[in-house]
Amino acid sequence: METGLTYNKAFAELQMLVRQIENEDIQLDTLADKVKEANELIKYCETKLRVIEEDVKRNLSPALSEGEGEVE
Amino acid sequence: MPVTQKLSEVVNEIEGTIRSRFLGRTFWIKAEIADVKKYPDKRWCFLKFIEKSGSMVTTDIKGVLWSNTYSNIENFESATQQTFSSGLEITCNVGVRFHKRYGLTLEVLEIDYAYAIGKLELERKQTIERLIKEKVIIQDADTGQFYSRNNSLELPVVIQRIALITAPDSDGQRDFQKVVRGNKYGYAFAVTEFLTRIQGDEAAGLIAEKLSVIAASAEKFDVVVIVRGGGSDTDFKSFNDADLVKAVAAFPVPVLTGIGHDRNTSITDLVARQNRTPTETATFIIDHNMNFDQEIEALNQRFFRAADNCLDRAKNDLENYRQRVKNLSPASILKKGFAIVMMDDKIITDPGKIGENATTKTILKDEIIYSTVTKKTTNGNGIDL
Repeated sequence: METGLTYNKAFAELQMLVRQIENEDIQLDTLADKVKEANELIKYCETKLRVIEEDVKRNLSPALSEGEGEVE
Repeated sequence: MPVTQKLSEVVNEIEGTIRSRFLGRTFWIKAEIADVKKYPDKRWCFLKFIEKSGSMVTTDIKGVLWSNTYSNIENFESATQQTFSSGLEITCNVGVRFHKRYGLTLEVLEIDYAYAIGKLELERKQTIERLIKEKVIIQDADTGQFYSRNNSLELPVVIQRIALITAPDSDGQRDFQKVVRGNKYGYAFAVTEFLTRIQGDEAAGLIAEKLSVIAASAEKFDVVVIVRGGGSDTDFKSFNDADLVKAVAAFPVPVLTGIGHDRNTSITDLVARQNRTPTETATFIIDHNMNFDQEIEALNQRFFRAADNCLDRAKNDLENYRQRVKNLSPASILKKGFAIVMMDDKIITDPGKIGENATTKTILKDEIIYSTVTKKTTNGNGIDL
């Protein structure tokens, strides 16, 4: 999967694929590739919605300790 | 050696004098209260009434509420959304009491909280007007809606990284966490808690401090959530604090509030995105993500429907061509009653090549006729078949 993908990008790309295929703007030869691409984009969104990536957790840890340090 | 009296005799005389002077009389006063000590179990409250000139206290007298009027405090708190505590200016009806042991006291008989509400409302209105003048808030002339930099920020399409400002071990904290963690769609959230006091005089400053901590790593958060929940209706005042409102209004990450109940909207709510309770704030976030989820699902369905159509169309096209080719085949033509004429094992397309006495082979659907040509003429205008 392409790196640097975001929800916005995935959504836009998926929208573009739908438009292409609805407008019959693709060669039959490339259909299989497009299906694969769409499947990957959908899987990316569905997974990301349900699993917090490790690097997000790691990023948050300093803020977390700061947050917890000032309990009153 | 002077003649002395017993202490009690003098104090009795003071008591008698005060009683006769103030018997049956009450006074409406407006004064600041200090050293407020509440005993909710006993339903007593001790305090001091003070008057200041500049910062110097010029008048100072004890005050008390006994259990028969203690409900005034509770009513005051629920009507004004603030804690009955030191520093407030209240309007109340008092009687003058003297006790041989405890001295002079003003007994509070009734608190006028309409005055307190009016004062708070006025303060709120003045703060809003000032913030509009300072361009922190813009009010839409037609709808009356309030806009700030913060509530004009677009929400990210999915909200997952949440900075939660709340009181430690509070209902608000528990309710919010419970709803986001227990969501039935299985959405994942990274909630970082920034715990602080969220009620009381210093709350506004403490919340603003937490905001500046979050601002230092603003890119790590999708939203900031401020919640305060459960039971306590009192002390709403910190959320009308001009400095806190400014901090929220200018905050670079969208702020969602869940700090009040039906009937109160603080100025902080106006400059952020308001939900009524911590639970509703959590639900708002889950619904927001669900919208995105559904849009993806809709695109998913559209895509595969279109892909199916693509394949179907290709199949239909293929079938059409097959049919057309079939219709043009010699077998199909013979079936319709046409014949093929051959001579010397070649299909004759040019009849000029056939002379009289030539031997030909006429191929029909089921039979082959061998002939010798006896006569040949032109077909004129053609035979109408």
